[in-house]
Amino acid sequence: MIKSILAASISSALLFTSPITKADWQDIQQEAQGQTVYFNAWGGADNINQYIQWAADRIEDQYQVTLKQVKLTDTADAVNRVLAEKAAGQDTQGSIDLIWLNGENFRAMKGNQLLFGPFSQALPNYQNYVDENARQSLTQDFGTQVDGMESPWGMAQVIFMYDTATLSTPPKSMTQLLAYAQANPGRITYPEPPQFLGSTFLKQALYELSPHRKALSQPVDQVDFKKVTAPLWAYLDQLHSVAWRRGQNFPSGAEEMMRLLDDQEIDVALSFDVSAASVQIDQGNLPDTVRSYVFQGGTIGNTHFLAIPYNSSATAGAQVVANFLLSPEAQIHKQTPTVWGDLSVLSYDKLSAADQQKFDDLPRGIATLSIEELGQTLPEPHSSWVSALETEWRKRYAN
Amino acid sequence: MPFHQHAFLKFFDLESRCFMPTKYRKMTTGLICALLLLPIFAGLVGTLLPAFHYFPPLGETEFSFTPWQNLFSNTEFFASLKLTLITGILAPIMALWLALALLAWGYEKPFFRPIENLLAPILAIPHAAIAIGLVFLLSPSGWLVRLFSPWLTGFERPPNWISVQDPYGLSLIFALVIKEMPYLLFVMLASMKSIQARDSLQACQSLGYGRFTAWRKVLIPQLYPLIRLPLFIVISFSLTVVDLALIIGPNTPSTLAVTLFRWFNDPDLTMRFNASAGAISLMLIIIVVLAGWELSHRLLAKLTRAERSNGKRRGLSDHLLSIGTILACFSLLIGLLALVILPIWSLTKRWRFPDVFPASWTWDNLERAAPLLMELTNNTLLIALVSTLLASIISLAMLEIKRVSHGSSQPSSHAFDWLIYVPILLPQIGFLFGLHVLLIHLNLNGDLIAVMMLHFLYALPYVYLTLKNPYLAYHQAYLEQANRLRPCVWRNYLTVKLAMLKPALFTAFAIGFSVSVAQYLPTLIAGEGRYSTLTTEAVTRAASGDRKQVGSMALLQTLFPIFVFWLALVVPPRWTKWRLAFKSLFIRTTRA
Repeated sequence: MIKSILAASISSALLFTSPITKADWQDIQQEAQGQTVYFNAWGGADNINQYIQWAADRIEDQYQVTLKQVKLTDTADAVNRVLAEKAAGQDTQGSIDLIWLNGENFRAMKGNQLLFGPFSQALPNYQNYVDENARQSLTQDFGTQVDGMESPWGMAQVIFMYDTATLSTPPKSMTQLLAYAQANPGRITYPEPPQFLGSTFLKQALYELSPHRKALSQPVDQVDFKKVTAPLWAYLDQLHSVAWRRGQNFPSGAEEMMRLLDDQEIDVALSFDVSAASVQIDQGNLPDTVRSYVFQGGTIGNTHFLAIPYNSSATAGAQVVANFLLSPEAQIHKQTPTVWGDLSVLSYDKLSAADQQKFDDLPRGIATLSIEELGQTLPEPHSSWVSALETEWRKRYAN
Repeated sequence: MPFHQHAFLKFFDLESRCFMPTKYRKMTTGLICALLLLPIFAGLVGTLLPAFHYFPPLGETEFSFTPWQNLFSNTEFFASLKLTLITGILAPIMALWLALALLAWGYEKPFFRPIENLLAPILAIPHAAIAIGLVFLLSPSGWLVRLFSPWLTGFERPPNWISVQDPYGLSLIFALVIKEMPYLLFVMLASMKSIQARDSLQACQSLGYGRFTAWRKVLIPQLYPLIRLPLFIVISFSLTVVDLALIIGPNTPSTLAVTLFRWFNDPDLTMRFNASAGAISLMLIIIVVLAGWELSHRLLAKLTRAERSNGKRRGLSDHLLSIGTILACFSLLIGLLALVILPIWSLTKRWRFPDVFPASWTWDNLERAAPLLMELTNNTLLIALVSTLLASIISLAMLEIKRVSHGSSQPSSHAFDWLIYVPILLPQIGFLFGLHVLLIHLNLNGDLIAVMMLHFLYALPYVYLTLKNPYLAYHQAYLEQANRLRPCVWRNYLTVKLAMLKPALFTAFAIGFSVSVAQYLPTLIAGEGRYSTLTTEAVTRAASGDRKQVGSMALLQTLFPIFVFWLALVVPPRWTKWRLAFKSLFIRTTRA
């Protein structure tokens, strides 16, 4: 009953808006034909690059739009480039048409008026398949209002990895992690902030250790930072003294952590990619005895997005690409563990029965957790926390 | 006659006693200097203005000292600075010491040839690849520990050592030395002819001086002025390198260049102000260090003068050279091992601690990289060849002008000497951002021409420097004699002077080529990621820490520079033989 009312209201909403949108969308598609979209995306993972290439081929066939990936080592490079273009007064014909980003980079670009939009809520696939209420992270990117300035692409959640051959019961909370490190000095570490996974580890620890959880959803200058974070620093002081390389070195990111796990230098690795363990086992970079797990109290998760710079010369093409990447076809292919394994942003309930079946049929790698096993997602703290935590961390541990 | 040919003939005033321009000398120098000045100026201004809080894109149009106040209240800045000074000064001292020791020990000895041949591949390897090879070799789970585990060490798992990325930067210094020592040795070997080392050495030895003593007292003092500028480049490189320090340097804190690199890339765009102020400080630091270096050298020269001319045939400090020789051989060996390990990794499927060799092998890593190869190789070669060729031509022109105007005061020519070093003496990250704004104004951003020009900017000083001393030391009488015998000035210049300078020319080209191939940030910033080279791809992969991929990419990336270096070594001595053989073959076939 409720479902049918909901369906009716949705369809009436569509009825009300769709004539205009549809025509507009046709215009956009028309305009997009023949355009080349320079897609600036982090290029550090082969499987992701291959997925983008797959999408490029499909988009070329279906919409006559050429998608070219510009592989970045750091998304901030792309933000800097748009900024440099603005500095030079190049307000049209910018070199970037689409950026893969979230969190701080989004906040920086949105805050400095470097983005085109709003556009995402007008994308047909967004209207058809995305349920904004399903997750807070769809409308609040690290606490920054999305406001249609970026289109969701995938979801990520922190997972931990361990080798069942050397470790029977992995530590499942921050407190257990410290106890494990104290019993096994040198085998625990985390990526170095401000690398995003490192900063995420700090946020995860803060969630678990601080009694002032609510403060985390507020801008950092409105709370007593010192009081809220005191337990975190006390914890880290203890952890570092028994950490890998005595807390004087930290890995550069998830990839290095997995390498260290494979080398048996460390016992627990973490990643923001839920299928990372399976993919790396498949490529021979991890032993097949490695498994993923999450902490008892849940782990931090977020959504990553696609945004269009304000000076893009192919905004129509970029929207066509963003829309295609939101299609069930693209999202199903993306969630396939052997392809990428990145979680879909589409609402399961809004999909057709056939597409639902396809999602159900997706195989999972031997070390990938199911949605149920991933359990509770902790929301990202307000984005102002990232830089505050990073600055304090570097002040304490980086000199 | 087309205009350009006419101008060309006039330009190279054939009537004059010299080959190169007399009339247009000033204009040419001025033009080339202006072309060099423009990007340098734009890059500097683009860094200087934000350092004083002026950056319109962020809505900041009021000058202030806030970035400096922030910089000086940042504890990480000072910690990074300290580390930078330690690593940036110790590494060149070590590299110079070891290179001199190796040269003094081995020069002109038969067994030294293989070592000389080893220099080229080590020189051509991109820093990132060497650093990764070293990390794998030296880290607690590295090859060295694997070789002795568990049978000797008892380690079933890697120990909790800090043998790489140590907080004192020792492993970084080591990596820098491995990278810089071969370069210095290479430059020294190229300069040996101009100081007539063999004759001096023979004279000294017939007077009864020990080999090391002769080097210390006679040859090194002559050699030093010739390698002063390469040394300055090495110092500035040590102080500003980003990729090496990222991989093998400590990260809490990191060296100043890496810290600035992170600030420039900080999503919080206001960090750019601090970063710009930091980049300006780094430039000033380079100047101070270079000045201090030169001062210490003079002081040292003064202090040792009495000892050098005391007539004693041996000296206590000869031992410095013998110790240096041992250390140098050791670092070459380690560098070589780091080199060997990369191709092994590129063919590895599984290789776990404490296995000495991979448990399973595969071609997959290479196969996966294969489709990319053609495009990357294309871009890499095109950019490197064009920019190095241009750099060689400009270097020759400027050197000829310098030679002709030698004696007469020609300030613009001297300005050029210093101007070309500015880009490589400036920290890349701050300077290039300012430059990028200029490229956008010229509508050259993301253009292949812009990439080539930036590569040219970075290859030019190395080519010029490598060529300078041999070129100026050239005995002009050969050419004058040739001109008397045959009045084709152009042809004589090519077939007599340049032909005699072949070793230096090939060396300069090889160095310029490998510099171009190794450029990461300039390619990325000028090409805006639209022109990937083997290096940009390899560094992208290096950041992911996947040794198999890095191994594959480094292997390919190394191939071309090594090949060119090999040519530089093999071709010049055989050139004439081959040419004559070819000629006689040609004559024989035409007769038949």
